[in-house]
Amino acid sequence: MTSHNIDRTVQPQRVAVSSIKIPTPDIIDLDNGFKVLVINAGSQDLARVEVIFRAGTRYQPKSLVANAAISLLSEGTTSRTSQQIAEELDFYGSFLEPSFSRDFASVTFYTIGKHFYRSLDVFADIITNPTYPQHELELFCKKGKQSLLVDLEKVSTLSRQRFFTALFGSNHPYGSFAIPNDYDGLTKTDISQFRNRYHKASNGLIVIAGKVDAKQVDFILKGFTNPIFEQCGEIELGLPSFNTTDYRVFSYKKDAVQAALRIGRVLPKRNHPDMPGLVVLNTILGGYFGSRLMRNIREEKGYTYGISSFIIPMAELSVLVVSTEVGSAFAENTVDEVFKEMLKLQSEPVSNDELELVRGYMTGQILRTFDGPFAIADSLASLFQFNNLDFGYIDNLIRTINEITPSQLLELAKKYLDVESMVVSIAGSQKIKGYKE
Amino acid sequence: MIDFVKYKLDNGLVLIVHTDFSTPIAAFNLLYIVGSKNEDPERTGFAHLFEHLMFGGSANIPVFDEPLERVGGENNAFTSNDLTNYYITVPAENIETAFWLESDRMLSLAFSQKSLDIQKSVVLEEFNQRYLNQPYGDIWLYLRPLAYKVHPYRWPTIGQSPEHISRATLADVKNFFFSHYAPNNAILCVAGPVDPNEILELTHKWFGSIEPRKLANKSIPREPEQTEPRFHTLEREVPFNAIYKAYHMCNRMHPDYPAVDLLSDLLSNGRSSRLYQRLVKEKQLFSSVNAYITGDVDEGLFILTGQLYNSTTFEEAEEALSREVEELKNTLVDANELEKVKNKFEANFLFEQENVLNNAMNLAYYEMLGDANLLNNELQRYSSVTNEDIRRVAASTLDVKNSSTLYYKSKINGKG
Repeated sequence: MTSHNIDRTVQPQRVAVSSIKIPTPDIIDLDNGFKVLVINAGSQDLARVEVIFRAGTRYQPKSLVANAAISLLSEGTTSRTSQQIAEELDFYGSFLEPSFSRDFASVTFYTIGKHFYRSLDVFADIITNPTYPQHELELFCKKGKQSLLVDLEKVSTLSRQRFFTALFGSNHPYGSFAIPNDYDGLTKTDISQFRNRYHKASNGLIVIAGKVDAKQVDFILKGFTNPIFEQCGEIELGLPSFNTTDYRVFSYKKDAVQAALRIGRVLPKRNHPDMPGLVVLNTILGGYFGSRLMRNIREEKGYTYGISSFIIPMAELSVLVVSTEVGSAFAENTVDEVFKEMLKLQSEPVSNDELELVRGYMTGQILRTFDGPFAIADSLASLFQFNNLDFGYIDNLIRTINEITPSQLLELAKKYLDVESMVVSIAGSQKIKGYKE
Repeated sequence: MIDFVKYKLDNGLVLIVHTDFSTPIAAFNLLYIVGSKNEDPERTGFAHLFEHLMFGGSANIPVFDEPLERVGGENNAFTSNDLTNYYITVPAENIETAFWLESDRMLSLAFSQKSLDIQKSVVLEEFNQRYLNQPYGDIWLYLRPLAYKVHPYRWPTIGQSPEHISRATLADVKNFFFSHYAPNNAILCVAGPVDPNEILELTHKWFGSIEPRKLANKSIPREPEQTEPRFHTLEREVPFNAIYKAYHMCNRMHPDYPAVDLLSDLLSNGRSSRLYQRLVKEKQLFSSVNAYITGDVDEGLFILTGQLYNSTTFEEAEEALSREVEELKNTLVDANELEKVKNKFEANFLFEQENVLNNAMNLAYYEMLGDANLLNNELQRYSSVTNEDIRRVAASTLDVKNSSTLYYKSKINGKG
C-alpha cells in the first residue's frame, strides 16, 4: 500500500470542469402544430413522455378549471373507464403525474421499456379522448375541497397565498387562489370547454426522454398526430396589468408555534438581459446552502431550520421570493435581517473570493441539470415554458456565471433589491404592528 | 443489474465503487451504522443532532460546505432509526475534495459550544416545523410509543422531546461521536464516471490513516410480542378526523419482508389498488387512504391510515378497513393482481436506478444489511412471492391483537 503524507488543512487541487455539454435534443414539428423534443439517453430501459400545454390557471374563466381539465384526464375516455385506465397503467408499472401552474398544465407519463407500446396506448387515449365523467368530477371536488381545507391550516400556505395576492391584487390571475367553496360550482361543461380551447397542439410541447428507438418515437408521434389538437381561432394570451398596493401583510393563525414568511417582488421575464445576472445575485443572497441568508438566519442566529430565496420564472415576468419558517418571536427580526442582507448587496461589492465560490457552485448546478435523461428533459422543457425554446439561454447563463463582475452585481442589487419595493407576508400567531391583517 | 467492486481497508472501512459514464456527476455516499435506535433513552435525538453538527467544521477544516461548493459540489444528510447517511454530488473531476472533507470529519469534529448551541436551536425549529406546526404533524410522537414499549423505535429520530436536545452537553456529544463515527462503523460508496483503482487509491490516501475506534455496545432490546390491541385518542384543531393503525411486522432481512411489502401495495399502491377503489371511490368513506411499511432494519411497522370525511364515523372507518384486511387473510389474491403489484415494484425499482446518487445510497444501504449485492437480488426476492405467501403474512401481521390504533380527532368538526 502506498503511504501518504497529507496536509489536511489544504484543499485538493481544484480541477476546472472541462466542459459543459449542453445536450441537443432532436426537434420534430408535427403537422398539427405540436413541437416535439426527443432526448435519447439513459442507462435503464425506461421512457418518459411529457405533454405540456399553455393551459395554466391564468386562462381559466373560473376557479379550478385548469386543474380539473388536466387532473381528470385519466378518469375516463370514450373507450375506457377510470378504473380500467388505473388497472391497465398499474399493471404495466406505468404512472402519470399531472401538474399545473399559473401558465402551464402538463401530464408526464413514465413507463418501463417492456410495456412501452401497450401502456403508451393508454396515455395517448387519455390525452386525446377524455370524457370527464360526472361522478369522477364529483369525487374530485369532494376530495379536493377536503385537502384544500387541510392546506389552509398551514402557515406556509397562508403566507404564500397572501404574498401573491398582495403582489398582484386579488383580481389578477397571478394573485387569486381557489377557496373551498369553489369546488361546489365546477361543471363538466366548464372543463370540457377549457380543454377544447387550450389543450391544443400549437399551444403545446411533447418531450420524450429515455432509452427510445426510432420505432418507439414514431409510435408516440402517431398517438399525437390527431386533428383534434388543431386550433380553431386565435387564443388571447395577454395578462392584465397588476398593481401592488399592500407591502406589509399579516395572516393570523391561532396557536402557530412558527411564523411563515414570504418576502419578494416582481422581476423581469427570463429572457430579459438582466436575468442571468439576477440568477447569480439570487444564488449569493439565498440560493444555496452557504448563501448569506442561510449563514445569517440559520447558522449564526438559529432562528430557523432553513431559509432560501429563489426566482420563479413565469411566462411574462418573474418573481423573487425569500421563504422561511421561523420561531414566532423571531419574525420581525428575520425581516430586518433579510433587508440588511439586501442592503449589503447594494452597498458593498461581493468579494472575489465569494464570487469564485458561487461560480464554482453554479457550474456544478448546471451540470446537475443535465444529469440523466429526465433531468435533461426538465431542463429543456423549462426553456419552452419561459423562453420559447431559446437554447441560447443556457450558454448565456454559463457565460454570465463565468464573467459577471462585483460591480455589475452591485448595480443589479441597486436596481432590483431595493427593500422599499419588497412585499412582506407573515402568517403566524403573533400580530405585528404596521402589518395589514 | 448494478455492477460494483468492493474493498475493505485495514481500519475496517468498506468501500464500494460503481462506475457509470452516462453522467458528468459523481456521487459520494458515506453511511454510518448509527441511527436513533443506538441512542441512550435519556439522551435521544443525538444521531440526528450530529447530522447538524457535522456541518460545523472538522479538525482541520473550519467550514464544511464552502470548499465543496467552490468545486461545484452539493451535499446533505439524513438520519433514520437505523443509520446516518451523508452524501455529496460533485462534478467527477473534483471528487477528491469530497474525500478530503469527509475523511477530516471522520477524524474529528471541531467541537465548539457555539456551534452546539446554534445547532440545538436549529434542531428545535426543525422539530417545531415538522411536528408541531403542521396539521397531523405530531402523529408519530404518539404512534411510536403506543406500538413500541421496549425497542428504541419508540422515539422519533429527531428525539423523544425537545428537552433531550436542549440539555445535550459538549461532553455528551464528544462521547457519542467517538463511539459511533469510525471507519470500522462506516460504508463508503462512490458512483459515477470514476475509475475504481483511482477511487481505492484516494480512499487509502484520505481514510487509510484513521484508526479504528471502540464502538458502543450495539445490543438492542427486542420488542416483545404484542398480545392485545392498543388504542389512543388525540384531539387536535385539525379540520378532519384521521385514523392510524400500526401492526408489528418482520425485520428487513426476513424472508417474508417482500411479501409484506407487496401486501401493502395490494392495499394502496396506485389508483387501481383495493383501498383506493373501494373505500375512496366506491364507498367514499375516506378522502385519502394509505397502507405502507416503515422499512426499518429491525422489526418495523405496517401502517394503515386514512383521513375521514365528516360524514364517516370512526366505527365505519374501522369496519371498512377491517373488512379489507379480513379478505386478504381469507381469500387468495388472483394471479393477475399479484403480477400487477410485482410489475409496479419492478418499475419503481428501475426508475430509482436512473440516478447516480440513488445507486450510491442503495449500494451502501444493502451493504449495511449484509451485502451490497442484495440490491441485485431484490427483484428476484419480490418476484418469487406467491399468493399463498400474501395470505399467510396477512394473517400473521394484520392480527387485531398486534394492532395499535390511534384516533386523531378533529376538535373543529369531528364526530364519532
